[in-house]
Amino acid sequence: MVSLLRNQKVHNALLQVLYVGSIAAMVLAGIVIARRNLADQGITSGFDFLFKSTGWDVNFSLLPATANDPYWWYFLIGIINTLFLGSVGLILATIVGTIVGLARTSSNDLARLLGRTYVDIFRNIPLILQVFFWYAIITHLPTPRSAHEAWGFLLTSRGLYIPFPNVGSAAFAAATVAVIAAIVLPAWLGRTSRLAQPIGQRHTIQFAAAAAALACSAIILALGRLPDTPLLDFPALQGLNLRGGLRIPPEFATLAIAIAIYGGSYIAEIVRGGFKSVGTGQVEAALSLGLSPWRVFTLVRLPLALRAMLPILANQYVWLMKATTMGIAVGLTDFFMIVALTINHSGQTLEAIGILMAGFLAINLSLAAVFNRINKAIALKGNQLRG
Amino acid sequence: MISTNSTGEPALRIENLDKYYGTFHALRGINLSVKRGEKIVVCGPSGSGKSTMIRCINRLEQHNGGRIVVLGTELNDDVGNIDEIRREVGMVFQHFNLFPHMTVLENCVISSMIVRKQPRAQAEATARRYLEKVRIPEQALKYPSQLSGGQQQRVAIARALCMQPQIMLFDEPTSALDPEMVSEVLDVMVTLASEGMTMICVTHEMGFARRVADRVLFMDGGEILEEAPPDEFFTSSATSAPDNSCRRCWAIDWKQRSECVTPHAFRHLHD
Ligand SMILES: Nc1ncnc2c1ncn2[C@@H]1O[C@H](COP(=O)(O)OP(=O)(O)O)[C@@H](O)[C@H]1O
Ligand SMILES: [Mg+2]
Repeated sequence: MVSLLRNQKVHNALLQVLYVGSIAAMVLAGIVIARRNLADQGITSGFDFLFKSTGWDVNFSLLPATANDPYWWYFLIGIINTLFLGSVGLILATIVGTIVGLARTSSNDLARLLGRTYVDIFRNIPLILQVFFWYAIITHLPTPRSAHEAWGFLLTSRGLYIPFPNVGSAAFAAATVAVIAAIVLPAWLGRTSRLAQPIGQRHTIQFAAAAAALACSAIILALGRLPDTPLLDFPALQGLNLRGGLRIPPEFATLAIAIAIYGGSYIAEIVRGGFKSVGTGQVEAALSLGLSPWRVFTLVRLPLALRAMLPILANQYVWLMKATTMGIAVGLTDFFMIVALTINHSGQTLEAIGILMAGFLAINLSLAAVFNRINKAIALKGNQLRG
Repeated sequence: MISTNSTGEPALRIENLDKYYGTFHALRGINLSVKRGEKIVVCGPSGSGKSTMIRCINRLEQHNGGRIVVLGTELNDDVGNIDEIRREVGMVFQHFNLFPHMTVLENCVISSMIVRKQPRAQAEATARRYLEKVRIPEQALKYPSQLSGGQQQRVAIARALCMQPQIMLFDEPTSALDPEMVSEVLDVMVTLASEGMTMICVTHEMGFARRVADRVLFMDGGEILEEAPPDEFFTSSATSAPDNSCRRCWAIDWKQRSECVTPHAFRHLHD
């Protein structure tokens, strides 16, 4: 018996059981106590409320929503809003960050100074202040009657109006998928056919794939067009209000801009660090082989910088995803706000917060998993420490 | 000693070359002419401007005065000229500088496919031939970091050769290697020399200099202080030194040590 306890494997297993067991006991105790307290206050716990109708409205939704809809549908709306805001915010932040980060590594003094100023300003002001700042600016834009117009875009205090194709929602979704394919397909082809074709030919294939996907999306849009309407619906003033086009509500625009600008300043530093980490030796070797500066960038600097950047970038994305909860500050009905409203209206605090946490956990774990996969796929082979 | 003395335009002509790093005068009026097929060994103490000089030849450093004419093309701000010269001049670095995200084979084919627009099959055939030549054909599909230092340097040589350059520059190709790997790299360089390649090598390997060099240059303080065939260079005795400056002492010291057989005796000179 004593000798069994001394066995290392048995020892480790026992420790594990003890550890997991004590955590489970604590969680269980917490739940029992919470239920008893709630019962004392006359609040029934459980998830039945999910199927009751909410009785309140949301101001922004990608799905049809009425006050008669049940809570679970509202949660779905919230998650989709958060995902949508997150994707738009992350994409914009990445674009801003790449531009500013490259400016910071450029040999041009002015570009470096501008990049540095940008980072210094936007990284050091709390996100919540920036959200209020952009919200103030957007809500102080002119009324629809005197809106700023440029290329069919209208800037007003009621939101940003952009021209939008007159197509059914299914066709629009399909076209969006095709556009995404136009971006992903060439990248994927570039990886899988690396050893198969000469580089020139590979580029032709990538180009053809992208063109085909874009053509597909154009055809889908043309076919899915609503009868008797022009392909693009331009926003225009009708009476006192604006009709047509797509309206981006001020709350959403505020959050998207704030995350793009704030996240961009952090991503700029990551991009800068990534490019700084690329050895000058590799760049010089590439130049000495006669490769043009552009080729040196695409073949050597970018791929190496990306590898250095991705793990930190994944971290940053998860972090920005969580920052979308700032939407509540300006009343954007994202996941967090919907949960907060649910708590107010239904009193189901624990359940709603549980759902909120599970939702964010799922979103961020998936994001991290995707990045881990990409990281593994492109990791440098072999032991990098060897000379 | 191997030399193919062809006539006509020299492979490389450097006239009155000046180079400044800010206010620091790194190269002071360098003159050098290298015939096709000639092998030059450049030596001198650390910081004497050896790297700067050969890096000017393919415009990794921009010179501030004088002329550099490579294979009849003048090196100036003309981007076309720079591209043309870089295509014809291969370079091997002290720290190999292989592309870590590409296999050995990809390292070798990338430039011929993009710069020379060769089809993949042809580029690969060439690459395999040169990998054979540097004696590592079996490593073609490995990544650089999976190889030893000596192997990596040989890949770097093969990579430069794949562009089929007319001139090869070596900047201390064996200085970063463990002693037991030095000879495998030098052997490859000796073979290359015997095939008539025009070579400019910055190196402290005396044995190599004696075997292949047509001329040995001694640099210090951004100047070429001495230039002689290796026999003369190594035998000119300490007493024949025209002045007693410290630089001169270094040269003599180096020459005397070159008589010494153990490479460890002058390892401190390698950096
Ligand atoms: N990028 C640079 N900026 C400023 N000074 C440099 C730079 N590169 C080299 N130098 C200086 O120029 C001199 C010559 O350097 P280098 O050509 O590398 O010498 P070597 O290769 O002979 O050791 C040294 O004094 C060095 O400090
Ligand atoms: Mg040097």
